[in-house]
Amino acid sequence: MKENMKKIEETMRLSISEVFEKMFYIFLEPLDDESDEYDMEAAIRFEGSLSGEIRTLLSIEMAKAMIQNMLNIEEDKITGHDIEDCLKEAVNMICGNFLGKFDSAKVFNLSMPVFSEPSLFKKEGVEGLSDEKSRDSGLSGNICRMDFDSDSGRICVIIEVS
Amino acid sequence: MSFNVLIVDDSNSMRAVIKKIISISGFKIDQCVEAGNGKEALEALTDNWVDVIVSDINMPEMNGFELLKSLKEDDLLKNIPVILITTESSEERMQDAFNLGAKGFIKKPFTPEEVKKILYEVIGVNNEGEYEEDRGDNEAFDF
Repeated sequence: MKENMKKIEETMRLSISEVFEKMFYIFLEPLDDESDEYDMEAAIRFEGSLSGEIRTLLSIEMAKAMIQNMLNIEEDKITGHDIEDCLKEAVNMICGNFLGKFDSAKVFNLSMPVFSEPSLFKKEGVEGLSDEKSRDSGLSGNICRMDFDSDSGRICVIIEVS
Repeated sequence: MSFNVLIVDDSNSMRAVIKKIISISGFKIDQCVEAGNGKEALEALTDNWVDVIVSDINMPEMNGFELLKSLKEDDLLKNIPVILITTESSEERMQDAFNLGAKGFIKKPFTPEEVKKILYEVIGVNNEGEYEEDRGDNEAFDF
């Protein structure tokens, strides 16, 4: 499983970079240190020869930069719905891209992405929300966390496989 | 020659991106109709005639595959070319879509150039935006 997690992490890093560079014109730098200073998250579950959940955590500044870059709109025109829509789409793309790279011969079923309210997130912090969600979803497998920095802010992507 | 396009995606952002790319790609667009899922797309097609459909696969209510099946069962709509947008790229899933009659794939994440290329191939226009009469089917597939 350890070898598999290494392959999962390497493939995830490729997919995350590809999605952010192609769709949002944001270039990410890997970070060694972890931060809990995130405002929101989007998550998606996948099932197939590999099953689990991917969560993407971001600051509000990063989310706004993604929307501005993707849609070429001004910051004061961005709505809460735009942010939710964009982050759900981002985690959906990361998941699909990752699974295609991980095993293109297999078919995976993807759930509809879920967006978490910033207020709930701030209250519980990264680890608190993770434990809560793991209990709810029944996941108890291996977890890999990746933190990135960019000119627009930081993001964190967590993949948990069962 | 100008075209009517139907964009089907549950994400407003993604519809806006596709619409923007089409508008700057050199196509002459008469009308760009939008729908949030397959069901809304079928409803939109009762009032609008389109030359090409660009549809996401993973959508609530009616997904892209179900939309394709419904189109192929309708004598009036079965010949409208459909380009599927997908985050998934499994060979089996793409073959399923091909068997259902999809004419091309746009894999997310995509660049504007990739979208333009597939649109040109499926609609049958060259890089100068001129319509090409003589072309084979399914040229857009790239397994």
